[in-house]
Amino acid sequence: MIPTIAEAARQIAAKALSPVELTRACLDRVHRLDGELHAIVLLTEERALAEARAAEAAIMKSGPSGPLHGIPIGLKDIVDTKGLRTTSQSKILADNVPAADAACAERLAAAGTVLIGKTTTHEFADGGPSFDLPWPPARNPWNTAHFTAGSSSGTGAGIAAGLFLGGIGTDTGGSIRGPAALCGIAGLKPTYGLVSRAGVAPAAYSLDHIGPMAWTAEDCALMLQALAGHDPRDPASARRPVPDYRARMGRGVKGLRIGVIHHFHEVDYRVSDGVRRGIDDAIATYRGLGAEIREVNLSPLQDWWACGSLISITERAAAYEEWARERLGDFGERVRRRLHLGALVSGVDYVQAVRRRRELRAELQAAMRDLDVVLTASQNAEAPKIDAVPEWDSFAAPSFTIPFNVAGYPAVTVCAGFGAGGLPVAIQLVGKPFQEAGLLAAADAFEKATPYRDRRPALVG
Amino acid sequence: MPSEISDESLDFLLARAGLVLSEAQKAELKAVYPRYAEMAARVRKRRGIMAEPAHAFGFAEEDLP
Repeated sequence: MIPTIAEAARQIAAKALSPVELTRACLDRVHRLDGELHAIVLLTEERALAEARAAEAAIMKSGPSGPLHGIPIGLKDIVDTKGLRTTSQSKILADNVPAADAACAERLAAAGTVLIGKTTTHEFADGGPSFDLPWPPARNPWNTAHFTAGSSSGTGAGIAAGLFLGGIGTDTGGSIRGPAALCGIAGLKPTYGLVSRAGVAPAAYSLDHIGPMAWTAEDCALMLQALAGHDPRDPASARRPVPDYRARMGRGVKGLRIGVIHHFHEVDYRVSDGVRRGIDDAIATYRGLGAEIREVNLSPLQDWWACGSLISITERAAAYEEWARERLGDFGERVRRRLHLGALVSGVDYVQAVRRRRELRAELQAAMRDLDVVLTASQNAEAPKIDAVPEWDSFAAPSFTIPFNVAGYPAVTVCAGFGAGGLPVAIQLVGKPFQEAGLLAAADAFEKATPYRDRRPALVG
Repeated sequence: MPSEISDESLDFLLARAGLVLSEAQKAELKAVYPRYAEMAARVRKRRGIMAEPAHAFGFAEEDLP
């Protein structure tokens, strides 16, 4: 039985579970499963055991410092870790050992977490899966012939398989919510500026978000509690109070106003039968819990996708321009293709995309004026075979997640059942800026009203 | 915006970006250009000269006297 963070925290506080035993159980699963999953690029076993022993000693002496004390986690390998190799899954940074922790790593360490390892990503959090990098791509624990989505692929796979209980993902167009959906876990892209980006390799500055991934929305709330807050090292960091992100959980969703963007998944880009069933069942579940369901109409999904993609292509090309000019051949083929696209963008294209962004954000703001939460698809289908992902995936299909990077609004993906081949399907819930407490409470209510958190991938045993 | 790109124009853009591509890579990029052009067309609309971009420049509290 793999506990959630919340369950483990309760047991640790009651001294019914030892952080050392919990860490050993995770490490046992790493040794048993990760040869097939490839969720971890750098295993930090000795450090993990030392941190777990230190946590245990401190807890025995004076109790846990908080709910993350002694909890095993993974950090995506674009997150700087002091003294620990941080590769961004790229030949270019294969020997990179940062001198300082990224802000998110620092905050989770201060909360007493135990680092199991650095997790697999797509190269520089960009296109994947790639088979021409020094490390293999992560595989989906529900069926290892299938893709995890990315780029926080190792964090998603590792949590689903119980290699660690929570982890850090990053999300520029859906890189937290995609793996959360395909791996059947929960993943939160917080409001832009809520979690510091300092010390994390950029993908596209104005779209990049750092956020928690875990088995449940409640666990994401526990992690967000440690991660949120102003950081002067991040120029986009917001100065906002940090509320109790679990405070609204358990109060039910009676009267919650949920808007459903039917045209995204029924007209603009039709989803699979399994995903459609997951969304319809989720709407029925919320209705049964007393929520008020309304219809939302926005610009076509393709407009949001075009806007986000152009900004992403351009900002990425700017960030990686020096290496693209000097070491283009050292990038994997998928990232190289995306960097080539940067040559096509004119300055005017970029500014037009950023003007469109303002309009789209205003549209979402108006649509949500009388709503608490928006519900939409997260992925178009169940996980594809890992060798069937299109090479030019940037153009393959519109993204259901990028609209909320464009808008900067918080969005969480949670498991909404199982579709073709027993693979997970998901819904995406979107909140208003800095309203993560209400958003996560809505997600938590859904998880607790459905049986999907009771099932783990068969390979976990 | 044209939906296709000539070899000469592509060479110019690549040279301006400082990217050196093989002929096969150029052909691949040329083949996906229409999809890029469609996106660039989608973000354009008649919005007038006063429509501001999303990134507005402002001062943080610590900048102020």
